[in-house]
Amino acid sequence: MNATTNVRPGSGAGSNTWRMFLLATAGLILAAAALYAAVGCDLNDPDRDVKRLFPESTGYKTLYVSITKRGGEELLRKIEARLGDTFKGLFETADVPYTMYEIYKGADLVGYIHGVNQKGTYGGLQVFLALDLRGVIRGFYFQKLTSRAAKAFRDPAFGSQFLGLSLEDFYRYDVVTGKEDPVGPVSRIKNSDPASEQDFRAALRATKKNLVLVDEFLLGNPHLKFFKG
Amino acid sequence: MKKISVFEVAYKNLLRKKTRSLLTVLGIAMAAWVLVSLFGFNKGYETSLNKDIDNLGFQMLVVAKGCPYEAATLMLKGGTGLKYMKEEIASAVAAEPEVEGVTAMLMQVVFDPNKGESGGISAFLGVDPASFPKMKSALPFKSGGWFKELETFEAVFGYEVAELEQREVGDLYLIPEKEVEVKVVGVLERTGTQDDGTIFLPIRTVQRVFAVPGELTAIGIKVKKEADIKAFEDKMYKLPDVQVVSLTQVKTTIMTLVSTARVMVFSIALIAILIAMMGVINTVLMSVMERRQEIGILKSMGAMALDVFKLVWLETIILCVSGGLIGTALALLTARLTDLLVRNLLPYSPSGGLVAIDLPLVLMTLGVVTAIGLASGIYPSWKAARMRPLDTIRSEGES
Repeated sequence: MNATTNVRPGSGAGSNTWRMFLLATAGLILAAAALYAAVGCDLNDPDRDVKRLFPESTGYKTLYVSITKRGGEELLRKIEARLGDTFKGLFETADVPYTMYEIYKGADLVGYIHGVNQKGTYGGLQVFLALDLRGVIRGFYFQKLTSRAAKAFRDPAFGSQFLGLSLEDFYRYDVVTGKEDPVGPVSRIKNSDPASEQDFRAALRATKKNLVLVDEFLLGNPHLKFFKG
Repeated sequence: MKKISVFEVAYKNLLRKKTRSLLTVLGIAMAAWVLVSLFGFNKGYETSLNKDIDNLGFQMLVVAKGCPYEAATLMLKGGTGLKYMKEEIASAVAAEPEVEGVTAMLMQVVFDPNKGESGGISAFLGVDPASFPKMKSALPFKSGGWFKELETFEAVFGYEVAELEQREVGDLYLIPEKEVEVKVVGVLERTGTQDDGTIFLPIRTVQRVFAVPGELTAIGIKVKKEADIKAFEDKMYKLPDVQVVSLTQVKTTIMTLVSTARVMVFSIALIAILIAMMGVINTVLMSVMERRQEIGILKSMGAMALDVFKLVWLETIILCVSGGLIGTALALLTARLTDLLVRNLLPYSPSGGLVAIDLPLVLMTLGVVTAIGLASGIYPSWKAARMRPLDTIRSEGES
């Protein structure tokens, strides 16, 4: 394409160039929305991500649920009570659609993957958990993370601290105060960057919210008995 | 004795061969379905495209010389290779008598390694708070409003980017790579356009943060209502070192390409209609041949040629009108599905509905299908009308 000559519409040989130019510009002006993928908390590349988190898997099933559809206001209050905090702001609402993945090896269900959005200091966090059938964390990672401590939090060493924990452990953790009473495994998770305490707490809140939602929507609430209210 | 109408006779005749009549009706219905959906698409696409372009707020766009196609690709792949022009060009364009207003823009794209697992792109549009909001007055705010200063660390978030980043008015945002904090002062409503995925910043802030002082990537131009846009476009084409995009031209080009595709699809629809028409002729003709004796008896009892013609013609019309009604209903019921399908197939689709089916379109389709019925019925009806009673009764006896 000639980058130095003005091409006018319908000028013989230039008309194709002009058409490309107009189309490209139209694309640039009108379709730049594609820069941002559809908002939600889906796996970026489910085929690849499922295989990475569950190497033994042979397939997966995707489920779409929302608090509004499954129980409305009453369920929201129940989930908020289990989380220990209210849903806040413009984007943490009962009608948020959650995408949950059931992982299969042959015909057998072997685990689950679920991600949630969480508000951080400077932007959104997307915390994904890979869970076994009992709801125990076997994989933790940030799919998206806007934070000054992004590098530290993305370090596999940080994510590995969550492995083996379940909602039973997280019930003792208060997402509002950031304290665990009595001190337990959640307190042993080290903040990789103390200057980003708010984002660290956001990651813990996202993990607890994720576990509560999986317990409610996928596991049939086996951890409800550990909830002290 | 109950008097039976010609319509009832025609209707009962069709019911005698239910499967054959049903298949013929379905053939007509398919053709009508395609016809309504195509005309609906034609109307819906143009309306939505016009709305999208009107929402841009300006009729012309001046961009730095260079190929926008390459620029778009580079932007989508990593944000390098943007072409710039000097701010003075905006002042020069604003001085033209045809110009009602101009707004300078500076787009910057950064690669954010923490967006997704392998990183992603964040787009920032530096705009002038004095002119941009006036031109884009249709942009609705979900909360907050525009920043007021030309250089301030404040931002307005498009709907989707706000949702993705979970940002609300008063929150902070960190510009990737630059590690610069900005405060969110406004969040836009969903518009279905590129604005949903854009972070708007004051233009001087963008120039400073991204170290491109005095540079622009685009100038939006609003032309006076009384101005001769064509003459003004010609004048703008002569500007050195810039490329001028008339959104009227963009629209015309898109519509030309869509029209080309549409002609092809209309040809297919026409073939479908012709096939359906042949099906109707075949069905009715077969029905007439099977009822030779019956028609002969009717005529020997006093039925005139015109009565037989009317009877057979009515059968054809019933088939076509029924098919037309079913096809139109199908088109209405599947309009949303057609919209989704077409949206997936087209390289660019405007944000509004792509298929617009209204009453005039429905009436027009029914009219076309009825006309097809009338035309298709002529030959079988004429054939039936000119049968001689004796010949038909004799031939039945012989067979």
